[in-house]
Amino acid sequence: MSVVDHNAIELPRISEAEVGDYLALLKPRVMSLVIFTALVGLVIAPGHVHPIIAFTSILCIAVGAGASGALNMAYEGDIDALMSRTANRPIPRGRITREEATAFGLVLAFFSVMTLGILVNWLAGGLLAFTIFFYVVIYTMLLKRWTAQNIVIGGAAGALPPVVAWAAATGSLSMEPVLLFLIIFFWTPPHFWALALFRSDDYARAGVPMLPVVAGPDATRLQILLYTIVLVAIAVAPWLLGYFDAIYGVTSLVLGAGMMVLAVNVYRRREGSEALRATRKLFAFSILYLFALFATLLLEVVVPAVALAIRTIAVAIG
Amino acid sequence: MDDKRMPDGIVLTEAQKRSRRQRSIAIALALGVLVVLFFAVTMVKGPAVLVRPM
Repeated sequence: MSVVDHNAIELPRISEAEVGDYLALLKPRVMSLVIFTALVGLVIAPGHVHPIIAFTSILCIAVGAGASGALNMAYEGDIDALMSRTANRPIPRGRITREEATAFGLVLAFFSVMTLGILVNWLAGGLLAFTIFFYVVIYTMLLKRWTAQNIVIGGAAGALPPVVAWAAATGSLSMEPVLLFLIIFFWTPPHFWALALFRSDDYARAGVPMLPVVAGPDATRLQILLYTIVLVAIAVAPWLLGYFDAIYGVTSLVLGAGMMVLAVNVYRRREGSEALRATRKLFAFSILYLFALFATLLLEVVVPAVALAIRTIAVAIG
Repeated sequence: MDDKRMPDGIVLTEAQKRSRRQRSIAIALALGVLVVLFFAVTMVKGPAVLVRPM
């Protein structure tokens, strides 16, 4: 018989993580933007999609985005603890271990891709798998700690959800989802660099080579202005090329003018509280810009459909 | 036998029990949603559920 020294055995860690901690791993705010842009991609796609197929597609895309968030947090647990913006996440707070987050993320990624592939189509499933791979491996593991162009290239992952949704609805790809992709792709740098300008201390402390840390705030302001010019042009292009109609065109011009004014302000105001205010304003408006642009596309499809339904009901009644 | 001795193995605290129960319910709900989803899509697509465009 052997004698076991119970004091020498390291007891396993028992998790006290609650459901809310796991939900926080999914990055709910990022997920809400993903759901919204994917919904637009799905709604503006030609043809009819059964509501259950549409719901399945959006759910899988949302869960896939959540899986990316969980895997991103699992990998970045060390630097999240150093930044005030991310120090409250479940891993730095010790609620969830990196291993638990990795397992959670991988399970969600597997189920979201397989469910989308099996129930909807494999083009959409494949694109979702590529999106998760790109965000986790290319952006999080390779680019983020290596180059100041991290969010430029990595932005592709955030721009893919409407493309996945379009593929889910049609089983194919065309120019419209590519245009949606380009809008989000060119929106990402001015949005995140505005954030990085007033959080540059955080990024410097964590050793993340964001543009303001590596090239300085003035170079970042110039890059924000240049990318905003490209963004505004790209956002108007679908109307000029005849893909989206005049309501979208006018909206994109008005919103684009707002983005340009704020980006010029960021470029010109470089000192003190005025500079900080200009940067915060651009960051906040950039969220509104993307939301309003995509909401316009959504309303252009939804409003006529609702009007037609009301007319049909009115005719049937009376 | 000494009835007052500590039980063998790991004894969960109340917080650990509560969070474990919460997580178990969440997993059960997620699996339930998955089952309902597969059932609903099968109803919608009928036999064509196995015919998918590549």
